[in-house]
Amino acid sequence: MSNDAALEIAERGLRSALAAGASQAEATCTIARRFSVRARDVEIDKLEQSTGRGLSLRVFVGEKGKLRRAALATTDLTGDGIELIAKRVVEAAHHVGPDPFAGLPDVGGSLDAGDLQIEADDVASRSNDEKIQDALTLEREARAFDEHIDNSNGSYVADSQVTLGFANSSGARASYRSTNASLVSSPVGRDGDAKRTASYGTAARSWAGCELPAKVARRASSRIMAMFGAAPIPTQSLPVIFERDVASAVLSDIFAAVNAANVAIQNSYLADKVGEKVGSDLVTIVDDGRLQRGMGTSPFDSEGVPTRRTVVFAGGVLKTHLFDTYYARKLGAKSTGNAAGGGIGPNNFYLEPGSIGLEELIAQTKRGLLVLSIIGFATECATGTYSRGVSGVLIENGELAKAVDGVTIASNFLTGILPGIDAVASDLRFDSGITAPSFRVAEMTISGE
Amino acid sequence: MSHEFDPSLLQKTLAAALERGGVYADVFVEHRISQSIRLQDSKMHEASVGVTSGAGVRVVEGDRQGYAYTDDLSEAALLDAACVASLIARNGARVDAADLRVVKVEPRYRVDERASDHGLGDLSAYVAFLQRVDATGRSYDKRIDTVNGAMIGEVQHVQIATSEGKLVSDTRPMIVLSAQIVARGQVRGFASYADGGRTSLGFYEKKTPESIAIEAARIAVMNAEAREAPAGEMPVVVGAGSGGVLLHEAVGHGLEGDFNREGTSLYSGRVGERVASELVTIFDDGDIDGERGSLSVDDEGTPGQHKILIERGVLRGYMLDSLNGRLMGGSSTGSGRRQNFRFLPIPRMCNTYMPPGDSTLDEIIGSVERGVYAKSFAGGQVDISRGDFVFMISEGYLIEHGKITAPIRGATLIGNGPAIMEKVVAVGSDARLANGQYTCGKNGQMVPVGVGMPTVKISSLTVGGSALQ
Repeated sequence: MSNDAALEIAERGLRSALAAGASQAEATCTIARRFSVRARDVEIDKLEQSTGRGLSLRVFVGEKGKLRRAALATTDLTGDGIELIAKRVVEAAHHVGPDPFAGLPDVGGSLDAGDLQIEADDVASRSNDEKIQDALTLEREARAFDEHIDNSNGSYVADSQVTLGFANSSGARASYRSTNASLVSSPVGRDGDAKRTASYGTAARSWAGCELPAKVARRASSRIMAMFGAAPIPTQSLPVIFERDVASAVLSDIFAAVNAANVAIQNSYLADKVGEKVGSDLVTIVDDGRLQRGMGTSPFDSEGVPTRRTVVFAGGVLKTHLFDTYYARKLGAKSTGNAAGGGIGPNNFYLEPGSIGLEELIAQTKRGLLVLSIIGFATECATGTYSRGVSGVLIENGELAKAVDGVTIASNFLTGILPGIDAVASDLRFDSGITAPSFRVAEMTISGE
Repeated sequence: MSHEFDPSLLQKTLAAALERGGVYADVFVEHRISQSIRLQDSKMHEASVGVTSGAGVRVVEGDRQGYAYTDDLSEAALLDAACVASLIARNGARVDAADLRVVKVEPRYRVDERASDHGLGDLSAYVAFLQRVDATGRSYDKRIDTVNGAMIGEVQHVQIATSEGKLVSDTRPMIVLSAQIVARGQVRGFASYADGGRTSLGFYEKKTPESIAIEAARIAVMNAEAREAPAGEMPVVVGAGSGGVLLHEAVGHGLEGDFNREGTSLYSGRVGERVASELVTIFDDGDIDGERGSLSVDDEGTPGQHKILIERGVLRGYMLDSLNGRLMGGSSTGSGRRQNFRFLPIPRMCNTYMPPGDSTLDEIIGSVERGVYAKSFAGGQVDISRGDFVFMISEGYLIEHGKITAPIRGATLIGNGPAIMEKVVAVGSDARLANGQYTCGKNGQMVPVGVGMPTVKISSLTVGGSALQ
């Protein structure tokens, strides 16, 4: 698979859009080879391997300053599939209102992948048999961890090699390749009459960057064992420590509030807060599209704007929202290189780590709740109201005292969570586009018995 | 629009898929076209068109499945996919693919014959609907700040060929019109409301764009004046319609066949046992005309069915796809679904609901001294092994001394499936299916579903607000 194939399809998409009457257009083609295997107990029970292609177009019709826009995503790249659908999307654009902010980005820049190191040779070279052995190892090690671990939702080993080609009517042409590799273990344990499950995974641009299967499996099983005997605790107010993986989920809610598309429609508690100190001194949040080997790293965003490093919060002060070209123009800012799939998405969006380990953070917490897993997803982005189902461990006198489940935690990002972050650990890992180290919030409402 | 595949090519692909062994193979061919337009700032903001076109080949041997897909529908690409899928097999060729014969199915979709493209309609109709949403939303109340909306339509044509000789086609429409509104009061109040289904644009003659805008505007204005939700255990009255999210999470997922065959669900091996209060009966039904979760046939070619999951508190059966049906000594219940051709089918819900009981809303509210009326829901999630589930209120009120009083902000409710189902103490006579807006995620695959319920009283449930008493 060469970069040329993706670039050729993108260029064909671009030509089709212009031939159909678009005055500006942009085309992206991805070709992804994906492999995935699932093991349960001593057997492989799912094996999937395919190459998928997709073309997306954005077309603009009319005059500059009054452009009307439409987008296309298609997997039909054969015969005259591209030409026919390009006509349809250009027609669709005529139903849209003229918009002074619509159009391709004004300025270009280097679209070169340079030294970002998002493609690794070991993804192409690792054999299916080796990956199958890794999946079986995950299962074996998870079950060997403790006699109570006797079932699983499967262990997954997956990787992908992606080529992306990009072309637009301003003359930009670029392509790059990237790889992903991941291992996930999801064992199930028997806690008396109850079943308990947990999941732990690792993901990186290379197999060398992933944690070893035995370690992944043991961490997944130890998470289950930590929850044995869990029960609700009484309703009360407590400090809450979000362990690394669930801390990332909290960062996702913060990302939604700095997403300019939400800001523009007033659906964000951070809509009018730029320049204000809304978080504690420990809240420094960065979006970095150029982090070497980062899972969210790319040379340019989905509209061909070179990625960059943007400080979103510095010492608790909100510095900026995150923009694509459209919302930057609309809100009087500059694109931060966050265009993604027709909307705005994270590059590597993360909370800066502190200097102490999670163990020390727990030891420094007299009484509190260590949250290990979260269920639910609805945060009111307009108000910052936050509420989740959680399970974890009650901390008493700096020690893990009692497993807890069946409770919720609640607070508000503006009045409770952001200003309340009073300790941040050092355990950050860059295993997805949004990440965070473990951190503590001074006080949240626990709703339980 | 015709995307019918040559049966002889499908026959050839099935033969290639079973060359190394396996007991079963199938080919899933999909051609889906979608279109949408979005409203922002009283203008049509952006239009979009999507095409999902490709095929997936599966080989099954015992409980093992091999899968490969291709967006290239040439003979060479299909045979390649069959070859990759067959890598899972190791017992050597044993089964021959039967000769394909066409199986006709009864369509379960409400499509207006006059509509173009199987109900997809023209974008100019979408524009007219959105203009009506905008005008109605803006004029609803002076506190309305922003009105956004979207109209999405799609037609998915699928063709399924199995090594057992079945060749089935289905053409599935789907439309949804949504409004997202922000109001300014004491706080910003946000609301999103949508409706649609497997039907065509005539749907919005009865369910007007105005009514959709009014519902979103009403909830946004209410949320702009809402106070913090309470924290703690208390009686909860779950609203009719979207309260069905409770059934979907607390019970539905735990009754999907894969989890039960694998023994990871807390409902595994419990058919015939009492798992809920006698007031609880739950159905899952793919066979309701025009609903968002309905299917003439599932993604394995099995007709959509009306299934009894729980009858007066007793667990009656699981939702099965063909693989889990075969391995569990039963047969598919028409529950094999996939997001698109890039995914293996897995057991999923269709429309999950509870039939009416005999209490009135007033009686139920009146019986609560202090609690919460959770009228509508944004969604939910469940841990199927432990049974703990959450569902998130999008419109809720305090109940004080038997009366609905102040609106409360969004909060998560948490409970354990069987424990909460045992605490169902009253079931209303007002059963209805919720507005068609829900999408269910499982193993990274999203599929449209329906939910429904009468008003139900749960004697005690943990409300995850931040206001301590």
